[in-house]
Amino acid sequence: MATSLLQAISIRKSFNGVPALSDGSLNLRPGTVHALCGGNGAGKSTFLNVIMGLIASDGGELLIDGKPHEFMGPAEAINAGISMITQELSLINDLSVAENIFLGRQPVRFGLVDHATMRLRASELLQQLEFDVPAEALVGDLSVARKQLVEIARAISTKSRILIMDEPTSALSERETLVLFNAMRSLKAHNVGIIYVTHRLRELFGIADDYTVFRDGRFVESGVIADLDHDRLVHLIVGAPLHNHQVANRGRRGDRRLAVTRLSRAGEFTDVSLTAEGGEVLGIYGLVGSGRSEFLNCLFGLTRAHSGEVAIDGERLAIRSPRDAMKKGFSLVSEDRKESGLVGCLNVRENMALSSLRRLGSLVWVRRRAERSETARMKERLDVRTASLELAVENLSGGNQQKVVFARCLLTKPKVLLCDEPTRGVDAGAKQQIFGIVESFVAEGGAAVVVSSELEEILQVSDRIIVFRAGRITGELSRADASQEALMRLAA
Amino acid sequence: MSSHSPARGPEGAPGFSPRKAISSFDLGKIASRYGILFAIIGLGAFLTFADKYFLTVRNLTNLLVQISPNGLLATGMTFVIIAGGIDLAVGSLLALAGMVFANYALIDSGVPVWVAAIVGVLVGAGLNAVSGVLVASFRVPAFVATLAMMSMARGFLKLYSRGGSIPGPSNSFADAVDVLSFGRIFGLPIPAALFLGSLALAWFVLTFTRFGRYVYAVGGNEKGARVSGVPVKWVTFWAFVVCGAYAGLSGVVVTALNSSAQVITGVGYELDAIAAVVIGGTSLSGGRGNMMGTLFGVILIGLISNGINLLNHLDVMKALGDTSATQDVIKGMVIVFAVLLDIVSRGRKA
Amino acid sequence: MNTKLLTCVSAAALVGTIVCGLTSAGAEEKKWQVGAAIYGLQNEYAQRWAADIKEQPAVKSGEINLTIFDGKYDHLTQRSQFDTMVTQKFDAAIYIPIDSKACDAVVKKAAEDGLPTVGSNGPCDTQAMLSYIGSDDVQAGRDVATAVISRIKDGGGVVELQGPVGQLGAIQRGQGIKEVLDKHPEIKLLENKTANWSRQEAFKIMQDWLVAHPGEIKGVLAQNDEMALGAIRALKAAGVDPKTVPVAGVDGVTDAIKAVAAGEMVLSVAQDAHAQAQGAVDIALRKLVGPSYKPQADIWEQYKDKMPWGDGTAKLYNVPWTYVTVENAEKILKK
Repeated sequence: MATSLLQAISIRKSFNGVPALSDGSLNLRPGTVHALCGGNGAGKSTFLNVIMGLIASDGGELLIDGKPHEFMGPAEAINAGISMITQELSLINDLSVAENIFLGRQPVRFGLVDHATMRLRASELLQQLEFDVPAEALVGDLSVARKQLVEIARAISTKSRILIMDEPTSALSERETLVLFNAMRSLKAHNVGIIYVTHRLRELFGIADDYTVFRDGRFVESGVIADLDHDRLVHLIVGAPLHNHQVANRGRRGDRRLAVTRLSRAGEFTDVSLTAEGGEVLGIYGLVGSGRSEFLNCLFGLTRAHSGEVAIDGERLAIRSPRDAMKKGFSLVSEDRKESGLVGCLNVRENMALSSLRRLGSLVWVRRRAERSETARMKERLDVRTASLELAVENLSGGNQQKVVFARCLLTKPKVLLCDEPTRGVDAGAKQQIFGIVESFVAEGGAAVVVSSELEEILQVSDRIIVFRAGRITGELSRADASQEALMRLAA
Repeated sequence: MSSHSPARGPEGAPGFSPRKAISSFDLGKIASRYGILFAIIGLGAFLTFADKYFLTVRNLTNLLVQISPNGLLATGMTFVIIAGGIDLAVGSLLALAGMVFANYALIDSGVPVWVAAIVGVLVGAGLNAVSGVLVASFRVPAFVATLAMMSMARGFLKLYSRGGSIPGPSNSFADAVDVLSFGRIFGLPIPAALFLGSLALAWFVLTFTRFGRYVYAVGGNEKGARVSGVPVKWVTFWAFVVCGAYAGLSGVVVTALNSSAQVITGVGYELDAIAAVVIGGTSLSGGRGNMMGTLFGVILIGLISNGINLLNHLDVMKALGDTSATQDVIKGMVIVFAVLLDIVSRGRKA
Repeated sequence: MNTKLLTCVSAAALVGTIVCGLTSAGAEEKKWQVGAAIYGLQNEYAQRWAADIKEQPAVKSGEINLTIFDGKYDHLTQRSQFDTMVTQKFDAAIYIPIDSKACDAVVKKAAEDGLPTVGSNGPCDTQAMLSYIGSDDVQAGRDVATAVISRIKDGGGVVELQGPVGQLGAIQRGQGIKEVLDKHPEIKLLENKTANWSRQEAFKIMQDWLVAHPGEIKGVLAQNDEMALGAIRALKAAGVDPKTVPVAGVDGVTDAIKAVAAGEMVLSVAQDAHAQAQGAVDIALRKLVGPSYKPQADIWEQYKDKMPWGDGTAKLYNVPWTYVTVENAEKILKK
């Protein structure tokens, strides 16, 4: 059929004057799976939120079955037949499949819930969709994959004809993914249209019919998947590689500061071996869920490895806690500074000094003078913008807060500096400063390991880049050989 | 998230240093930071005019002695609350420690009274070490662990004392206990001196030691503290032990003041201790607060009780009916009013 | 900031002055300031005592300004209240202590500071009290034991429910009970245990005893009414008719009197709160006014044979117990 189920034309949306979406366009044909692709910040989430009625657009048109719609809220979108299946399932574990499917819309007889009818209708629906899920089963007993099927069934029972699926396979095994795909094929046969969002590009070629690529908030290209291959898709998503701020080649000392041998932790990462030398910044690139943060947390002692070895300067280490790790020479700038990098109610000076109190003072006392002078020096060196060291750290901007975290880590005089997404939530100016901090650290002989899921960033700051995918290392590239496409290819 | 209030870290406020404060004692400035001081001064003014005996040396001395038991409890409690926990067992610990002290303070116990006092303190510290382990290592929520300890300690007390009180019908305390109860040092009654001295020690530890800094960190953001290398378990454990030691000392003081240790002593004392700490500005969610605030909280609560006693004889009180119940209502109202005053005057987060 | 402080202080001072002013009217006549410090107000007897003392003619006429201090079952609180009475230069104190040993220090210090204390209802182990008006707990114990034992034909087993361990009242009642038991070798004391004056505790203990000694318990000696009532409930729960097992208690609380009227209890040795409370006031006033003082409570007429006023300076006034039996229970209830 040539008719379109959903057609979005040039949807626009800005937040506080900053455009998040300037040309969101997509044409969903009935009975197809339509892949929506794009990197971080491409505008996919904003686009989908508009379609779901969660936010109002600033412009553009949305046609469903040829009729224009403008949603004032999610209820209207649902009424128009649009449903979303997210990663966080919204099912109730203590109720049965049938009860979940008809949640809020239970069939009623004489004022009481008619369980028999409900179960019957649920069974019919599940059979129709060819979902292998028993209607009386308790949702809490089902596997994640089956739970997703229940969510889908629920969406269909509300007469949804447009389904949006956001990273549905991130929690599924290969077998379960096949179950999901079969379910999707069944839906297609019922003329349901599915917008499918995922970072796992290889999957798309198994299930999608059409594709649309967004980049930098605008539509780039769309077409039929059959006309596309993996490399071309990656190229579309990434676009022309931006010029990297090249930094002068650093002097690599050649001494193995960090050596990791076949480190594994069940369920998170397997067989990871790498080295980092003094004077070098080792980048680790990988998508969310690839195991890179888990790897860093394990190095730092937040979790224990199940097998493998870690050595600093040739000495094998058994690390049991962050305190241990710090004593041996590690320092970690964690992924979420608010949650684990800073203590919000303490002031800047106290936060900076927190990891080094033993060194700055004595067994019992805090040596005020040493604390004050060293933290003041750090403030200057890292250019932490704050009126006073005595202000509560929660009052600083994101970039400055992150610098405080770096200050705390650097004050411990580490041998190996671990950074997990060090520029997340940081403005452009502070970002560059942070790169500078990392560079000056390694210039003094330490080794740095920087984890990031942003291609530009990892290319800018690293001497070598290691790529993680699904808990394993899939490749290593030197700065010269690395490009955004090459990295994406290895990571996705 | 906006924040009107300046940091309430170990030093109390930005730019606050003990040297500066002592040299330029500006009541107005301190009052603006501790709204509770308003309430204390206001209440004091009211009582001065409402009862001619309030502002007498005798009454004020009595007041100092009366606030000492709760003051000691609140001082120890401050550590635990800043560290992000709470301790519901202090009343029971106080009673048990007091009873053990009483046992060894008898005239024929063969042990000098000051040693008996140390034993009492150790009893409190030791029991709370158990709570500390439960909370720090086994991740039992502090509320639950200390609630259990509250019950267990009371049970131990009943077993230890076999239901009786000490001294029994046929023995009595050594004379030194009277000294503890009625004696003076530098003109201050000894119980009050013990309280103020212990408070000063606690203030010192919180402000100047590594342990003190860690207590704030653990209470402010436990995960962040752990990632920063703070020995979270160790800090939590010792915060509880310190609190227990203070409760033990309070038990010793109460036994001395009462000249007796009973099974029902200390019931409900934990509530006044927690109230004093919270009124003084320490946040129940941890990471904020200081000893000066606790001192003010203790004084305010003591003032309320003292005031209720002094005004008890007034006709207007009797006209209100069941005076005891009325007094409970008044106490609650004054506390709420004082906290509101504090919040309004500083725009602080609850 | 300082103006805010000043306003706050002046406002508080103003209110304080008003409060003071409200009370000074009426401070013209010479009134005696008397404080009544009760250990707590949660049980029926204490509440009755407090209500009765307010009805004392001297209080009602305004001769005395009586202030009641609730000790909340905490000795430290009572101690503070005595501090207050001394500070405010009260003329006399009436004291029912929570701690019969620790009260000694309190009373001694009060006496040194010029505040005479009259004890009532609860004995205090001290020499420093002006006088004590209460009832003889040893006698009460004897009466309880006698009432139960006399109704047991051909001997048998009995059980005893005791007050809190170490409390003077419980010790003395226990003493009386033991005296009578010793005189009756045909009666065997199967069990005795403390139920801490509590109905609930006594219920549980009695239940266990009924299981441990089926058919053997012929009588229950309870040191107070609440525990007796608990035992009766246990009997009923076990399917035993309380009318077949004599139970006796002490205090004369309303529920007990009803039980006596219904035949479930054979005796309640009632304390006369009215006498203990109002008598104490007269004793205190005698000290303050002097030999010319004539006692105002009606109890002296009521008990003129058993507890004469004398010259009002006796160290001990022994208020006779009122024996509530099935004969007079209804009448007493109606009072």
